[in-house]
Amino acid sequence: MRRVLSFFLLCFLSFCIPTFAADYHEQLVLRPLPLSALLASFNFRSNTSLSAFEAHNYRFFPRSLGQILQHAGTRELHLRFSLGRWDAESWGARPWDGAKEGGTGVELWAWLEAETEEEADHKWLTLTNALSGLFCASLNFIDGTRTTRPVMSFRPEGNHPSSNSTNMHLLYGVLPREVVCTENLTPFLKLLPCKGKAGIATLLDGHKLFDASWQSMAIDVRPVCVPGEECVLEIEQTIDMVLDIDRSLRPRDNPIPRPPPGHELKCDTSKPYHSDDTCYPAVYGANQDWTLAQIFGRPMQGICPLADPTVPPVCLHVPDSRSVYSSAGVREIKNKDGLSRCFEVEPAADLDVVLPRVESEGEAAPTLAESIVRPETPSLYAERSFTGYGQERGGVQTILRNPSPDKEVEFVYMESLPWFMRIYLHTLQARVDGPSTDQESLIDEVYYRPALDRARGTQLELRMRVPPASTVFLTYDFEKSILRYTEYPPDANRGFDVAAAVITILDDGKGGTGSASVSSDKHTSSNLRTTTLLLSLPTPDFSMPYNVIIFTSTAIALAFGGMFNILVRRFVAADEGPEVSLKRLKRGIQTKLGSLFSKFGKASIKKNE
Amino acid sequence: MPRLLSGAFRLKNDPRILKLPPYLSLLCILVGVVWLLLLPLDNYSRRTYISENALLPGQVHTYFGGSDQNVFRAYKHEINSLADGNATNLAVNDRLAAIFAGIGLKTARQPYSYTTSRAVQGENIYAILPAPRGDATEAIVLVAAWRNAGDETNRNGVALLLTLARYFRRWSLWSKDIIFLVTPDSSSGPQAWVDAYHDAHRGSVGSLPVKSGALQGALAIDFAREGRFKSVHVAYDGVNGQLPNLDLINSVVSIAGGQMGMGVAIQEMWEHPDGYRDRLDTMLRGMLKQGLGMASGPHSAFIPYHVDAVTLQPFGEGWQDEMAMGRVIEGTFRSLNNLLEKLHQSFFFYLLMATERFVSIGTYLPSAMLVAVNFTIMAIALWVKSGQPEGEVVPGLEGQKGEKARLAVERHLFLPLGVVTVAQALGVVPLWVFNHTPASLQTTVFVVFLVLNTALPHVLSAVLTRTYNPTTQQYQLITSFSLLLLGMFLSSLATLNFSLALIVGLLSSPLSFVRPARHLAWSVPLALISPPAVLALTTALWKNGGLAAVGDVLREAAFGWDVMGMYTPVVVWCVWWPAWLVGNLVVLGRPGRGKAKVA
Repeated sequence: MRRVLSFFLLCFLSFCIPTFAADYHEQLVLRPLPLSALLASFNFRSNTSLSAFEAHNYRFFPRSLGQILQHAGTRELHLRFSLGRWDAESWGARPWDGAKEGGTGVELWAWLEAETEEEADHKWLTLTNALSGLFCASLNFIDGTRTTRPVMSFRPEGNHPSSNSTNMHLLYGVLPREVVCTENLTPFLKLLPCKGKAGIATLLDGHKLFDASWQSMAIDVRPVCVPGEECVLEIEQTIDMVLDIDRSLRPRDNPIPRPPPGHELKCDTSKPYHSDDTCYPAVYGANQDWTLAQIFGRPMQGICPLADPTVPPVCLHVPDSRSVYSSAGVREIKNKDGLSRCFEVEPAADLDVVLPRVESEGEAAPTLAESIVRPETPSLYAERSFTGYGQERGGVQTILRNPSPDKEVEFVYMESLPWFMRIYLHTLQARVDGPSTDQESLIDEVYYRPALDRARGTQLELRMRVPPASTVFLTYDFEKSILRYTEYPPDANRGFDVAAAVITILDDGKGGTGSASVSSDKHTSSNLRTTTLLLSLPTPDFSMPYNVIIFTSTAIALAFGGMFNILVRRFVAADEGPEVSLKRLKRGIQTKLGSLFSKFGKASIKKNE
Repeated sequence: MPRLLSGAFRLKNDPRILKLPPYLSLLCILVGVVWLLLLPLDNYSRRTYISENALLPGQVHTYFGGSDQNVFRAYKHEINSLADGNATNLAVNDRLAAIFAGIGLKTARQPYSYTTSRAVQGENIYAILPAPRGDATEAIVLVAAWRNAGDETNRNGVALLLTLARYFRRWSLWSKDIIFLVTPDSSSGPQAWVDAYHDAHRGSVGSLPVKSGALQGALAIDFAREGRFKSVHVAYDGVNGQLPNLDLINSVVSIAGGQMGMGVAIQEMWEHPDGYRDRLDTMLRGMLKQGLGMASGPHSAFIPYHVDAVTLQPFGEGWQDEMAMGRVIEGTFRSLNNLLEKLHQSFFFYLLMATERFVSIGTYLPSAMLVAVNFTIMAIALWVKSGQPEGEVVPGLEGQKGEKARLAVERHLFLPLGVVTVAQALGVVPLWVFNHTPASLQTTVFVVFLVLNTALPHVLSAVLTRTYNPTTQQYQLITSFSLLLLGMFLSSLATLNFSLALIVGLLSSPLSFVRPARHLAWSVPLALISPPAVLALTTALWKNGGLAAVGDVLREAAFGWDVMGMYTPVVVWCVWWPAWLVGNLVVLGRPGRGKAKVA
């Protein structure tokens, strides 16, 4: 990954800096991964000078977002929409060193300029509500219980020379339950200068994007200052997705994975029992051939005319030894490191890239492992799960594994837990399992902000280390609160999602490139997120309260009716009361009618007179 | 009103009222039994229905088949070569891991060992198919034990699991992870895995290296037979008589029976014409299984953790093939995949009497409660009776017969309480002995215990009369306390395991009517209903294995108690056995004038 990033860095250094003032770049990096997966990283970056931004003069910077940022006093904004999980065991280190991904759901953090915390909270409310409308996401549900103020985990990525640190407030909110879907992609594409009508953004099709095994959409807005030049506001939009090639190759009009006809099965013919009706399937995902148009459902239609023409729009990371074909009007540039190549396209030419099957026959046939660039080993593996069972208590166990044989990993582990998960901090334990079993304190620093019921969640930040080639088990216990019945969400109750833990790996300064931006902070780091968890709380059977309400209402109504009847009615014996009989009724009617007739009679007499 | 009250008071002192409880008690037992027999009638049972609408069973097309059969045949060859070569557990797992890797799934293994009455060790292997767009919050499990409950190699089951794993891998609609688990056997393996999944495992069981989210359901395949089959048998009993949600069974019934048209059987009723006798038979089989509380398949281990699970076993001669079985599983998984929340809508307490006929707890519970109540009624009656003087015992009061009813006698509580406490405490001894005896000695120990158990009441009774010489009142109190405890235990047990409470209640119902008998012969029928005797008789009658079968049952019970947390032994030895012991003591008792008067 580092090599990829350094390549990026080089590319940006050579192309971007001279034309920093107002420009737009876009690039798609394709990278085949093991197990028949393909990582596609779309990157769109534009910037505008701060003075133009202040003057409401938008060119590449989207006006809709810009106005929100100005209104809410936002200095730096990071918004993430993610789905699925990154399989670090097979796919290796994360793209962008994890800097451009979030936990499942929606994640938002921003530095707001405010004098007091109350003002910051107020601006945060404005920001979340406005973004909620812009991105069609339930960001307005990020309320006090879901907002934290991380202390150690996040650092500003941009340069903030004008504002001092006291009036910069970092707020972090996360919605693990939010399902990311096409309604979030459309506004995302609308922010782009070419609006998804030309360039690499034409490949972004909701059907393919949301069928990906893992995908993350990111928006980062940060001020960037290069000494001696005017500060610019940079917006970087990124979409990373891991496509399953097998699934993506399925035609759209026939998405059902019906069993293929027997003769189309790829079999291992070396088995002794192999025959027409017996087929031991060949190793999954090996040796697939694909084209860009098949994977994304359409070829890339032209290039965005606004994009910097010096940046090649599509790059592919496969070893040089592998042959790749491209459509007419496309020029292939091989990179010097022998592991990647880029494609330059003539304007208005469609781009398609064909990766043929690797020839496995012949003397010097490359092995399957050599047909892709080996993914880099991540510096830390993290996995989090619940322990225990039952409705009352539970535990959380995070397994942190350092694969490096000689390098210690230092990181900040941050959990923002909902208030109804009451953790017992005294049960927090870090146990190491590895060659060096000296149980010296693995946790260097703890920042803990306890939850307040119904007001704010728990925030736990740990600065800790994992010794080389060791595994650390971080465990703590918690108690489940009982919610009021109106506090359950109105949907079907599958449980409550607990947001992913954020792991920020601290670097001692050598190596890591962190952000791809040239002018990023010196304090570089890479990020990692665990999966979300599903917490099941004691749940009432919701039809029960309603039954009880209806039942008691009926009972009260009956009792009250009877009681009221007894209270207001006067009871008399039957012989004391007026006689009720047919004869009496008849007499009554007769008298009534009689009086009526007599009236009429009088009236007619008067008339006659 | 005052007239009514005084009438009731007068009635209280009426000697006839004390004659009533035994009849009332008998009536309770009879009504309880008749109630149970009424349940299979149409008016008392209900048709099953899908309560959770999200399941939509049988509403999707299933596509498993076609060239997947070629793949199935190849996997079957692989499994056959392992099974025929008597491959070890580790060799099997190595091969399975290679096949899973070929499918593109990552595997993990879990070694475990149990050293109880029988030492068991093995290694589970499982593969996780991550939900294509999911985030590891929920999972469903497909289990196939290498050796099934009947100790045959589950050849088709494991091959089908592998083929389904490959087939499921192609779909992108899974909302939950799917875990494919292959265990070496069908009791300890799944138990070790589920325990470790919830971090409730002991030291000898390895932790799981990889985990997914909360388990929402599990399905086990037990497909050892060869050739085509007729229909599917659904095994659903969990440990301690816990049952999976009725919706899961209903879904399987609706998919296998309705959509696939292959019919479903339960409780080993291979033929079920749905008459009264068949329904009653099915229900009683289910109750017996529930009462014994033993695991009935790989699914049993999941149920205590509130993971609904069933085992599917094809049976009969018909024209359905393995692919049809695969489609049943596919359909069930598609239904489980639809679940938005844990299965909770339908019943957890029910008795099935046909695949589409059940009674729920509200309807059947009264029968066990009535049986339990009979003990309480007798306990109260004996308590009242013990407070009234008896002419022949207290000769000094003979002249004042008219006054007798008014007088209350002081109750001597110490001895009765002591006797009942000691009897209850003694129950721990057989419990400990049978759970800690090595497997080879179980039969011998049982025979020794059976002999001792027959002699024990006589010895204890002799000691009791010799040293304390209890009075009639004290015998009454002993019976009263013992019955009170029994009634209390059984009525609370009825809410947890209805069948066990009813079986124990019926078997100990004669204890309600015990009183000191002058004749030794009365202890013979009582000896026949002692727990060990019942155990020996039933196993001899049903398993035709004589005492060796008893040893098997005891080994299973010890294993269940130690590994699966099965509490049937506790109920037998600490609830039923003490009550029987006390009852026998009373029958053998010779009421005297009490220790003080003798001295």
